Amino acid sequence: MAGGPSRALLDEIASRPGRDTFVSSVIKGAFITLSLLFLAALLFAPLITVFATALSKGFEMYFNSFADPDTIAAIRLTLITAAIVVPTNTVFGVAAAWAIAKFEFKGKSILITLIDLPIAVSPVISGLIYVLLFGMQGWFGLWLQEHDISIVFALPGIILATMFVTFPYVARELIPLMQQMGNDEEEAAITLGAGGIMTFFHVTLPKIRWGLLYGVILCNARAMGEFGAVSVVSGHIRGLTTTMPLHVEILYQEYNFVGAFAVASLLTLLAVLTLIIKSLIEWRQKT
Amino acid sequence: MSITLDQVTKRYQGSPVVNDVSVDVGEGEFFVLLGPSGSGKSTLLRAIAGLTGVDHGRIALHGRDVTHISARQRGVGLVFQNYALFRHMTVGDNIEFALRVRRMKAADRLARRKELLRLVALEGMDDRLPTQLSGGQQQRVAVARALAHKPQVLLLDEPFGALDAKIREELRRTIRQVQRELNITTVLVTHDQEEAFALADRIGVMNLGRLLECGKPDELYARPATRFVATFLGAANLLLARQTAQGIRFGATPVNIRALEKIDGTREHEVVAVLRPEEIELAPTRDNLRVNYMGLGVVEEMVFTGALERLRVRLTNGAAEAQITPPGDAAASTAMLEVTRTQHEQRTFPVTLGQSVALGVRRIHVLPTPLSSYTVCATQKAAAERLASHPFLTELASRMKTRIATRTEPALAEGTDAETPISGVAVVTPGVDTAKQIEWLLRNGAAEVLVLPEQLLPPQRVLIHWANDAARRPTLAVAASLLRHVSAEAVYVGILPEGASDTQRPVGMRTLLDARSEAQAMHGLEMRTELRFGSAAEELRRQLNDAPDQMLILGISDLADLHQNFAALFSTPPPFALMVVYRPAGSSGANER
Repeated sequence: MAGGPSRALLDEIASRPGRDTFVSSVIKGAFITLSLLFLAALLFAPLITVFATALSKGFEMYFNSFADPDTIAAIRLTLITAAIVVPTNTVFGVAAAWAIAKFEFKGKSILITLIDLPIAVSPVISGLIYVLLFGMQGWFGLWLQEHDISIVFALPGIILATMFVTFPYVARELIPLMQQMGNDEEEAAITLGAGGIMTFFHVTLPKIRWGLLYGVILCNARAMGEFGAVSVVSGHIRGLTTTMPLHVEILYQEYNFVGAFAVASLLTLLAVLTLIIKSLIEWRQKT
Repeated sequence: MSITLDQVTKRYQGSPVVNDVSVDVGEGEFFVLLGPSGSGKSTLLRAIAGLTGVDHGRIALHGRDVTHISARQRGVGLVFQNYALFRHMTVGDNIEFALRVRRMKAADRLARRKELLRLVALEGMDDRLPTQLSGGQQQRVAVARALAHKPQVLLLDEPFGALDAKIREELRRTIRQVQRELNITTVLVTHDQEEAFALADRIGVMNLGRLLECGKPDELYARPATRFVATFLGAANLLLARQTAQGIRFGATPVNIRALEKIDGTREHEVVAVLRPEEIELAPTRDNLRVNYMGLGVVEEMVFTGALERLRVRLTNGAAEAQITPPGDAAASTAMLEVTRTQHEQRTFPVTLGQSVALGVRRIHVLPTPLSSYTVCATQKAAAERLASHPFLTELASRMKTRIATRTEPALAEGTDAETPISGVAVVTPGVDTAKQIEWLLRNGAAEVLVLPEQLLPPQRVLIHWANDAARRPTLAVAASLLRHVSAEAVYVGILPEGASDTQRPVGMRTLLDARSEAQAMHGLEMRTELRFGSAAEELRRQLNDAPDQMLILGISDLADLHQNFAALFSTPPPFALMVVYRPAGSSGANER
């Protein structure tokens, strides 16, 4: 998430006079090298390994791994989950950010803390909550069984767990943005006679669109990549309740390295794509 | 009337940010709300626009009550300090926004857009984005946008705040022109008095949530009624003076000036005199002065500002002790007068730093405010000094821009009289013989007595009561003067005796209404009224015990009242602040305007 000093501040610091002495340039070089080495060891090496292993037996084997019906089912399940979770969390995130940025109410700080909760809680616990609530021995377990509704070890459970883990992303992206932008434009629209809906779609939404898109992309990446919480509620039923990350694990444990890394490479591509879109958005926002 | 505000009050976390504001703005009038930041002027403007609700009072636009109508339906045009243009829309789309909301046809919209762009001198800028415009241009677009739907009223919230001086002036002229051309009722909020003078048909000065004074710029400048307006509108020297039947006296120096307002009453009393820097003349000696002599001084500071020369002159005799020094302001602890001189005056009598000069004054304005200065009285010096540094008192004095003197009076509350009369408001701490002390102080020259408990926070509510009709006017004048500097609610408590017959009730009600309208008309004081039954002193005491942080302003015209009718107030040392206003019957006109 966007943090640390702003680009403008960094540029300003860089442009201050007296910064280009010999010692400072040595130190600068040392730090850049250190960061790059660190990145190489932790990021680039695994990235290359993923693609190298996936393609180790050639392109044919690589593409064949996607013909497996279980793999196709896993991809489909992941897409369905994301298709439900991301829009829901977008609506929730906008609503929560709107409430927090524009109004004063009791319990506001508690709401902010609660929104951050999924980030603080271990994903495994997040999954376990739903097992405890809706599992066979859970609070609603018996009732659900009587009515023949399955939540845990089925699609609803996966969606709930994913939703829980990913709901902070949109809201957290929008709250500081909306707070910083203030209310003046909305107030101007209202005095000009616009109603709430028109103000939202013609004034607020265009104002926050880039931040919103950024939040949605992050939310989507996390929703597709979530392992811990989903692992607890899914039950690992092949072809039925395994999402892509879970499927990677199953294939790996069966020593199907090409298959495992082929699916992993899809997730990696998603991550790379997310980063590219994120950079594009940041570039757009600046101009 | 185009805009009518009636007792508009807005509270924020309990304390009023807009306090009982009533004003009428006429058709096509350019009204400027002027005040320092935090005076509530922007909140008031937002209340007129409907963006902020009010807790009390009524707002009407062109006779239509809009108090409970949403901002959307009020049809006003509002311009913000930071423009608030829709940043993703072009200039043209920004201007047409209000028209699109109203589903106007595209051709009509275009025609209106062209007309508005011509009005604000931005022809051909239709397709620019706000970020491609300078600050001044953006604000022009904002004005055009606010006028698009032909609002009845144009509201501007510090529209020039973010612009530099040159552009500010240019835009100021544009807005004045647009306003004249459309003859649209306009309210502008600013903290810049120069801006207010340049634009306003009428100025309303706000401070601490209250609308202190309204008037034409030149009248407000020449004849302010309050210290705040006197010093906020341009520079002013405030001096304490004695007003006598013969005229004004600074210390021992009488100033025989003809330009004085009518002097009321015969009783000599302390007043606050306003001397504008440009009304003071310098000359090498007293005999060279062409105007009334007021003292001698030494030039301490000279600043050249182009057209004018600003000087600070230390008074060495004459009016020296008349200088008002707000407490805690060490730099101003010596009597300094601000003087400005034109180039012409500089050439006729050039001065240098440290030069001795004679000072004369062309025009003195005496403030009609009754509370001139505070004199803390106690039997011991230490007690007097402790009371003089009371937070509420020092706050009050610094807001009123007046001084706190201390006096040790061993004779306080004993039989003997003071050697020299006490001037202004006497201040004492409550004790067992408070009633006696008050009486003694009032007999020895004090016009008012303030009883101030040591642990007292600034009051939230001020109760006003007078013993009889003779005390009404002076009490209202004192209450108005005090409440301009305290952000508290004013409540007049009318009290009828227990068992008052039904025939008396309408009379009681009428007294309340009369009091309210008099307070508003004569003193610009908005107050609420309550009618109670029972013994006056007990009823007041009960109300004051109800909640902490209250204050009572009590008007009497007979010293015996303190012991006869209000003894119950003093049965124990009062834990609330108490201001006793005393004008002996027959001379109550002394402090009127």
